[in-house]
Order: sequence, then structure tokens, then C-alpha cells
Amino acid sequence: MADDGGKPGTAADGGKIDTAAEAAEAATAGVGAGSQEAPIRPLIDLTSRPTARTYLREAWRRREFAIVVPAQDLRAQNMDTTLGQLWHLVNPALLVGVYFLVFGVIIDTRRGVDNFLGFLIVGVVLFHLTQRVTLEASTSITQNMGLIRSIQFPRILLPAASVNGQTAAFVPALALAILAVLATGELPTLRWLVLPAVLVAQFAFNFGTALLVARIGTTMPDLRQILPHLFRLLFYGSGVIFSVDAFVQSAAWRRAFALNPLHDVITCARWCLLGEPVDLWVVAGLVMWSVLMPAIGFWVFHRSEQRLGA
Amino acid sequence: MSDPAVTVEVRDAHVSYRVFEEPAMGLKQGFARGRMRRQYRMIPAVQGVTLDLHEHETLGLIGPNGAGKSTLLAAMTGLLPLRSGSIRGRSRPSLLGVSSVLRPALSGRRNILIGGLALGFTRAEVERRMDEIIDFAGLRADIDRPMRTYSSGMRARLRFAIATARIPEILLIDEALTVGDEEFRRLAAERIDDVRSASGSVVLVTHNMNEIRRFCDRVVWLDEGRVRAVGDPADIVDCYLAAPSPNSR
Repeated sequence: MADDGGKPGTAADGGKIDTAAEAAEAATAGVGAGSQEAPIRPLIDLTSRPTARTYLREAWRRREFAIVVPAQDLRAQNMDTTLGQLWHLVNPALLVGVYFLVFGVIIDTRRGVDNFLGFLIVGVVLFHLTQRVTLEASTSITQNMGLIRSIQFPRILLPAASVNGQTAAFVPALALAILAVLATGELPTLRWLVLPAVLVAQFAFNFGTALLVARIGTTMPDLRQILPHLFRLLFYGSGVIFSVDAFVQSAAWRRAFALNPLHDVITCARWCLLGEPVDLWVVAGLVMWSVLMPAIGFWVFHRSEQRLGA
Repeated sequence: MSDPAVTVEVRDAHVSYRVFEEPAMGLKQGFARGRMRRQYRMIPAVQGVTLDLHEHETLGLIGPNGAGKSTLLAAMTGLLPLRSGSIRGRSRPSLLGVSSVLRPALSGRRNILIGGLALGFTRAEVERRMDEIIDFAGLRADIDRPMRTYSSGMRARLRFAIATARIPEILLIDEALTVGDEEFRRLAAERIDDVRSASGSVVLVTHNMNEIRRFCDRVVWLDEGRVRAVGDPADIVDCYLAAPSPNSR
């Protein structure tokens, strides 16, 4: 076994030993498309970056990776805990509980809000989703160097896996939020039907952000330290715990809040579920971010993908 | 028009890579220089290599450390951009390197799934080939243990089994056989033959001259990023071993 096949052509020309049997074998092995003797396949340039189109098509073909892998990771995450998978539900509940205690009871920021618990839980849960996606994606490349160096595949699948995983983990939290909204006396209205559109816009924004931080995180691991502070700042600027309309008097300043993508997401979601007022600028901001961010993220990520493995 | 039997065609390829200055620049120097971009130097690693790879061929790539062997392979897979020249091929080669493990905390079985999906299999396809891959890797008894508990030989076998689960048309092997035992080498030889008999080509980078003699039809000797000699394995290996290179092998 060891040294058979070592004969053909020691010189420059390696082989003219095409036989029908080998062609058939090649076909069954799933390689050498068109080894039907005659057709000469043109050589493709191996060093150029694939066009965005081919790249995306290739990534889409392998999309199962970005679904199965995070699902496995999520399952593994709480395996050694007593509550196990319940943590995906308990964790956001505790999170909201703490905020309610601090900002609803101790420091009263309830001004101008009818249903503060519902208001708070929608804000906290949605904000938390983007935060988790971003933090997770910022290390998605660096944590998978082994995979990157072993297998050639579209790297976009790694941040995509972070987005999918965290979004899946968010589903119980969303269910909890909706239950809480119902339990605090809200009734479903036609506005609720708009919520999926808001969530899709947030998903698009998250995806773009994930690509951007995944790229930055590879050359600047410091990002991991900076992000939590950035999110804390965003948190207070998003009106998660207070109503911006009630606290901010100047219309110009309120308009500035519309530039904050998370404020846009949360405000629109509250409009859907709680009937809180929404400014047209906020809606425009959400639409803008959900288009702009994926474009920026993809451009930055794709541009330097070749360097990621080196 | 080139020879129809050519699977990969490298023409006057130049590859340089960046080496960042160590340690990473701190804030103080950053302010002093007025810019935060890390300083780096371009190291010319491959300087004008031209070669053809043919159907049914196993090509050995030898040379001292730093000769540009691994860089050339990385460029062939598209991992590193060329500074000039061209590399064209029938399809994108699969590179099998010495990197550590895919996901150390997960079991071998999970790693097969993850690696298989990254390679473009569907989940169902991976499940279908699972047993075959496990058997090829010879890890039947250990497949459900975390991969970090594996010996380096076991890791090498598993990686090899995953990477060649779909017989690639062009397979590049960078020192990936060195860690295995005799049994592994026998399996690797089998896979290399599979690739070749399917009109494919294999490039083998190694410092082990027995591997070169055993597997290769032709050898390219790289030195300082240039081709120093091409030819029959026995001849080239003899010359290489006799060469008074300070850090060869």
C-alpha cells in the first residue's frame, strides 16, 4: 500500500493515465467534475478574493454551520448547572428584577410611563440581545483560530453563528417579556403585528455590528474590554430604564436620541406592545441602521477576510 | 494554452507577509508617533516561484525553515495575498496544517460535525459519513471524549480524517503526517492515493525525507523563497542532505 502509485512520471509530466475506471471513480468520489476525458476545465485564479456575490452564495450554501454549531454551544453552556436550559429563562427574569428594584422602586424613574414593568422588560430584553450578540461576535474569529487554520470556509459563518446563537437564546426572554406585558394588563392590538418587522430590523443591525466587531476584534483584542463600557453608555442613552420623552425636554435633543440604534429598536418595540408614543425620526433611524449597518459590516469584514487566518 | 493535465499553475509568485513589531505598541509610543497603527515590516517569504502541479501527482516541497514552504501553501489556498505573479488552479485546494484542534472542549464527534459543516457538508451528510470518519481516524473508543484529552497523534488523525472526508481534488499537506504513527501513515498514504487516482494532486511539505521518498513523485527544493532544484525525489533528497545549509532539516 505504502509505495504503490509512486511510479507515474517522476519527471515534470505527471500523468496521462486516464482510464475509464479512474474517471468513473473520480465521479463517484465527488471530484473532477467532467473528467469525461475531453473537456478541459479552465484554471481559476486562486489568489483573488471572491466577489461579494460568489462569497455570499458560498456562505449561504454552508449556512447550516451557522445554525448547528451555536445550537450545540448553547446546549453545552449550561450543562453542568442545576437549572440547565432553564437559565435561558431565569437569567433575563433576574436581570429585569434587578432593574425593577433599582429604577422602579429605589430610584423612581417611572415618570411618564403607565406600565413601568412592561416598559422596563421590553427595553432590557431587547437591549440585552444586541449586547450579547456584539460581545459574542467580537471574539468569534479569535476563538476559532484552530478551525480557521484547518479548514477553508467563508469566515462570515463565525460571526453569523454568534448572531444566530444569541438570537436563539433570546427567544425565551422575548416570550417572558410578552407574558409580562400581558400580565400587566396590556391587550394584544393590531400594532403587535408590527413587532416582527422591528425584530427583523434589529436582527439586521445586530448582524452588521457582529461583522464589524468580529473584524476589529481580530486586530484589536482590546475591544473586548471597551465594549462593556460602550454598552453601559448606550444603555443610559437608549431610554431602557426611563422614558426619554418624559425626561428630555428639548426636541432637538430628543431627535439626537434617534441616532442611537438601540433607542430606535426599543422605542419602536414599545410602540408595538405598549402603545408608547413613537417619533417619526425614531422609525427613520431604525430603518437607516438596519440597512446601513449590514452594509458597513459586510464591507469591512469581506475586505480583509484573507488576512484573518494569518 | 497550458498543459491540460495541469491542476495548479504557479507563475512567478511573490508573497510577503507582515510581521508586527513586538511588543504591540503601547499608548505612549502611539501618542509619540501620533498614530495608533501598529508598526510592521514586510517579510518577503516567496520570491518568484514558478511551478506546475499535474494530475495524479504527489509533489514534495522541501527546504530549510523559513524557505517559504508553508507560505507558498497558504498562498495556494488563498489565505495570503500575492504581491505579484499568479496562482491558478482547477479548484480551491484544501490545506491540511499542523494547527491545534478545532474545538478543544468538544468531543471528537462534535468536532467532526463542526468541521464537516464548515467543509460544506449538510448535517445529514456528516451523520451519514460519521462512522466512516471515526473508523478512518481509528478513534472508535475515544470519539466522545473532549478533543483536548487526545494525544497529538489522535488529533492529527482526526483532523486528517475530517479534512479528507470529501476527497479533495488538490490536497496540500503541511507537516501534518509527522505526528502520526505508522498506522496513521498507512492510512494517509491510502488517502493520498485516493486523491491521485481521482485525477487529483497532492503537495506534501515535510522535513522528513522518508516521507518524501515514500510518497512523492517529484520534489521541489525551496531556499530563501526561490526554487533551488526540481526533480526526482531520490536525487533531490541526496543533494539536499548533502548541502551545507546551516539549519536544514
